[in-house]
Amino acid sequence: MAEAEFSTLVEVSLRVNGERVSRRVEARRHLIDFLRLDLGLTGSHAGCEHGVCGACTVRVDGEIVRGCLTLAAQLDGADVWTIEGLSDTGEVRDLQQAFVARNALQCGYCTPGMLATCADLLERSPAPSRAEIREHISGNYCRCTGYEAIIDAVETVAAARRAATGQVAIGQATIGETAE
Amino acid sequence: MGRYHRPLALADALATLAGGPATVVAGGTDVFPARLGRPFAEDVLDITGITALKGIGLDGGWLRIGALATWSELAQAPLPPWLDGIRRAAREVGGVQIQNAGTVVGNLCNASPAADGVPSLLALDAEVELASSAGLRRIPVAEFVLGNRRTARRPEELATALLIPEPGPGARSSFEKLGARRYLVISIAMAAAVLEPAADGTVGRIRVAVGACGPVARRLPALEAALRGLPLGPDLAGTVTPAHLDGLSPIDDVRGTAEYRREAALVLVRRAIRTLTEQA
Amino acid sequence: MIAKPAIPDVLREPGPGIGKPLSRVDGPLKVTGQARYAAEFNVPGLVHGYIVSSTITKGRITRIDTAAALRRPGVLHVFTHENRPHVAWFDRKWKDEDAPSGSPFRPLYDDRIVHAMQPVALVVAETFEAAREGARLVQVEYEAEPHETDLAARRHEAFTPGKEKGGFEPPPKPRGDPDRALAEAAVKVDVEYVQPTEHHNPMEMHGSTVVYNDDGTLTVHDKTQGAPNSHSWVCSVFGLSKSAVRVISPFVGGAFGSGLRPQHQLFMAVMAALQLKRSVRVELSRPQMFTFGHRPPTIQRVALGAAPDGTLQAMIHEAVQESSQFENYVEIVVNWSGQQYRCDNVRLDYKLARLDVFTPLDMRAPGAATGVPAIEMAMDELAHALRMDPVELRLRNYTDRDPNQDKPFSSKELRACFAQGAERFGWSRRNPQPRSMREGRQLIGWGVASGVWDAMQGQADARATLGIDGHLVVASATADIGTGTYTVMSQIAAGTLGLPIGNVTFKLGDSALPMAPIEGGSWTVSSVGSAVLAACERVRGRLYKLAAKMEGAPLGKAKPADMVLTDGHVALAADPARRVPIAEVMRSGGVLAIEEEARSVPYYVKRAQHTLATHSAVFAEVRVDEDLGTVQVSRIVSAVAAGRIINPKTAGSQVMGGVVMGIGMALEEETFMDHGLGRYMNHDLAEYHVPVNADIGSIDVIFVDEHDEVVNPLGAKGVGEIGIVGVPAAIANAVFHATGVRVRELPITLDKVLAGLSRRSAA
Repeated sequence: MAEAEFSTLVEVSLRVNGERVSRRVEARRHLIDFLRLDLGLTGSHAGCEHGVCGACTVRVDGEIVRGCLTLAAQLDGADVWTIEGLSDTGEVRDLQQAFVARNALQCGYCTPGMLATCADLLERSPAPSRAEIREHISGNYCRCTGYEAIIDAVETVAAARRAATGQVAIGQATIGETAE
Repeated sequence: MGRYHRPLALADALATLAGGPATVVAGGTDVFPARLGRPFAEDVLDITGITALKGIGLDGGWLRIGALATWSELAQAPLPPWLDGIRRAAREVGGVQIQNAGTVVGNLCNASPAADGVPSLLALDAEVELASSAGLRRIPVAEFVLGNRRTARRPEELATALLIPEPGPGARSSFEKLGARRYLVISIAMAAAVLEPAADGTVGRIRVAVGACGPVARRLPALEAALRGLPLGPDLAGTVTPAHLDGLSPIDDVRGTAEYRREAALVLVRRAIRTLTEQA
Repeated sequence: MIAKPAIPDVLREPGPGIGKPLSRVDGPLKVTGQARYAAEFNVPGLVHGYIVSSTITKGRITRIDTAAALRRPGVLHVFTHENRPHVAWFDRKWKDEDAPSGSPFRPLYDDRIVHAMQPVALVVAETFEAAREGARLVQVEYEAEPHETDLAARRHEAFTPGKEKGGFEPPPKPRGDPDRALAEAAVKVDVEYVQPTEHHNPMEMHGSTVVYNDDGTLTVHDKTQGAPNSHSWVCSVFGLSKSAVRVISPFVGGAFGSGLRPQHQLFMAVMAALQLKRSVRVELSRPQMFTFGHRPPTIQRVALGAAPDGTLQAMIHEAVQESSQFENYVEIVVNWSGQQYRCDNVRLDYKLARLDVFTPLDMRAPGAATGVPAIEMAMDELAHALRMDPVELRLRNYTDRDPNQDKPFSSKELRACFAQGAERFGWSRRNPQPRSMREGRQLIGWGVASGVWDAMQGQADARATLGIDGHLVVASATADIGTGTYTVMSQIAAGTLGLPIGNVTFKLGDSALPMAPIEGGSWTVSSVGSAVLAACERVRGRLYKLAAKMEGAPLGKAKPADMVLTDGHVALAADPARRVPIAEVMRSGGVLAIEEEARSVPYYVKRAQHTLATHSAVFAEVRVDEDLGTVQVSRIVSAVAAGRIINPKTAGSQVMGGVVMGIGMALEEETFMDHGLGRYMNHDLAEYHVPVNADIGSIDVIFVDEHDEVVNPLGAKGVGEIGIVGVPAAIANAVFHATGVRVRELPITLDKVLAGLSRRSAA
């Protein structure tokens, strides 16, 4: 049973991007700050600090959550994945390629969180409609792109994954350039 | 500055509460946004380590929603159609990430006038289970939420579960939410309805509740009484009149005027009832 | 600077040249989370600052007690106006590139409070959390004075500003006799439009990480739209030599204008680093993102008179806009009306009202996004009064000369925008009657509006360095706030030197690089792109000279004028098969690298003889819930004429982003002021609504061919602003077409629509 002054250090042991991490962390430190400041994983971003914008979206125990609404101390024993880990394993490579090919990003600040949410959707729903994509990723703001290209990218990847049933990686050939 | 507790056993949590008041944190989706970095002066009781509080299941005529059950678990659990309304509400709480972390019980305990879960819980006649070192008690949701951010939970108590009685055969439910945008929005108004049809194709029992139109969500007993015995058909929704909503006390705020809320609530109630009749 | 991490090869791609839809070159870094933003540079010993904001709107601080904060474990120092280090005294020292006339705000300067949530202290602590909690413990006592934040209350005390800042043009003198012409017109509208305060709200909050180097110099990672702007401002305010500070800003998480001026976090972080001799990070909180500038609220009257055939006979457009007590913020609001339509009797008037708020700040298409919706809604009202198609009305009053300045446009393909946009949208099937389309309880409406924005250009420098390995490095201190600067500049450089895009590295966001102006106003392609072009052309010229000196085959006795660069080779224009690799040319000339720097200067003479602008025609379809008043924008077609499009993919994305911000402006975005408190009420992202994905329908962008030899050597006008300009009015007009309800106060929220519908059915 963890019990501590809110500012004093609590021992947490968890897995981050597949690696075992043990740290003494202030009980009041939020997951997003733990990732960015303690672990140097700055790919997850903070945009609103109160659970609205989705820029801090990370995967915890298989579910996407807001890193700004979770305390690091709450995650003892948890399995956390951030964009850095998802990139390294290649799990979201096709989504990343499609985002670049479709220009589904501009400033890039929302992008890691957006990718985590899109990956979550495709895991649950291999053939989502555009409306379903829009709804699932509406918890992630993008202020730059106008959203349309993000939907295009997810749709493209969903189709490519279906076409390549059984294959994990999708070659570049399946993701075409957009004709503007 | 307060202390941070993360017990793994319910008894330890209750002991902590017996020792003095603490802010209870589960998903944190209401607690942290409300503070925006303001330090905790009081103790914090983090209950996420207490596995006994997890889970959703039907048991002896009651659906039990544990204190750690999230909106996503509710939306995804294999549940009968009479829970469709609250499951629709589950998909309209915040965004997916909020639904994955936020709990149904926490939404109730936070007692926001705009809490998305409360109208459905009222219409379902749900009860709250409260535990303390002294034992368990159960009270109806209608008696639990006392006002804006006020509940009947005593400082030494922990809300451990919601219990929803199984309704009569053929029961169904609906939910309507209105926000200023399509998603990720705090409700301007909400309506929830639960219908238990009579054998002769009329309304047997119906329970209707409206949220975000007053300090607490409210049932509409006059409407419920007026609908009883009417034929279940496309005309039913049209029998709702503005007078049926007299008990509401909406306010003006940045999301909408009181007048607009009143009109919107009427439309939402009619739509919720129409959905029930169309499900037949 | 930034170490280039390994990118999976599969994310790279070879790039085509100018005009091709190349994928953004910074994409791989951004999709893998490796692009680092200002608050992400972690250095050993970094400490954190948190700003304390005032709780009153106007008055003075009578006492600050920092003892409790200082007692908090981890807190190192609390800066207030009483103990801050010395800073510049003269106003001019506080001016930045985007400053209007007046006296710029100085954080922690004295005891005066001039706007709500003004920074009054900075708490610096070993951890972010300790600083944030310490900030809560700073006790400030105030003597409050009465404030005024309501534009309506001050509109009659408004004054006419002068030329308060470069790029601002006061309205032209009246033409003809507009009041009389209006009185005599057969058909007229005379209405008032109200627009609210909006905030930029880029996804990244403003942050600065100031690294205190061993030699006492500062490396400043700032969120800015101009590293040189932040650099010169810091040096000027703190009295530092130019070489003592370097500002770096390779990636910016959106800005939309919020980074055009140095913001509070920059001052605070530099101040603390200098005093404490530590590396310091200060990041604004989201509520503090509402404390440094905004799109100002505006009240506008538009009166139009027309003959029965639609010919405009009178046009009056008057605007009163908010400014602060300490600076005269100006933007071009009303001039567009006189520029867009031919009319003999015109009065355009623009006034400012001083209120107790922070100075407004350019936000995407500043002025145009405010004034153009007003004239374009009024034109729709006039079309309805005339029983005339709104596109036809606009074409009836179309002008190929700018009536304000009596000059030709350098190019103006707005007619083609209307034609192609209407075709794509299916406008010809529109029934002019409001409330003529419905599906169940949904009323459907179609609306149109035009948009316009300036095609500006500033001076900029660029340096191009071609190595013998065939790699080209091009550098300019400009910014990429997501717009695509990295990509487009790489493309211009690659195209000019006939290199694959993969051979080009573009560097930006660093005050040590060749000078560039702040990135804003859609002028970066024009300004920096022209400099890149010029620098690369000089490199090309040197290559040709070296090639001309080469003995023998395959180029023979060719002169530079006979040569082209293609595919990494110098070739004969007449016979491209005869070619020599660039590396060979350089080797024969005995050079390992060719480096050239160039300054682009606008075509001042040609530009002075023309009006230069981008144009658009925007078509919108909305679906309005008749019972609830909710509006869904199901379709937008935006046809844009912006000269040559360097990259249709990034440019199209700019326009789409502008469209969605325009949807926000039309339906959602509004910062509410509690005039009693003088404070914004919804200063967070939960209550300041921007469109979410589910709010958006389909968006279709068309770039209309437009040839322009006046604007710059590239013929490109820039597209950062034009995307938003026509959208709010197109949507407002579509809502009217759907419902018969005219909402003249943006945003068009559901309660306003429903109130209009109720009034309508009561009448």
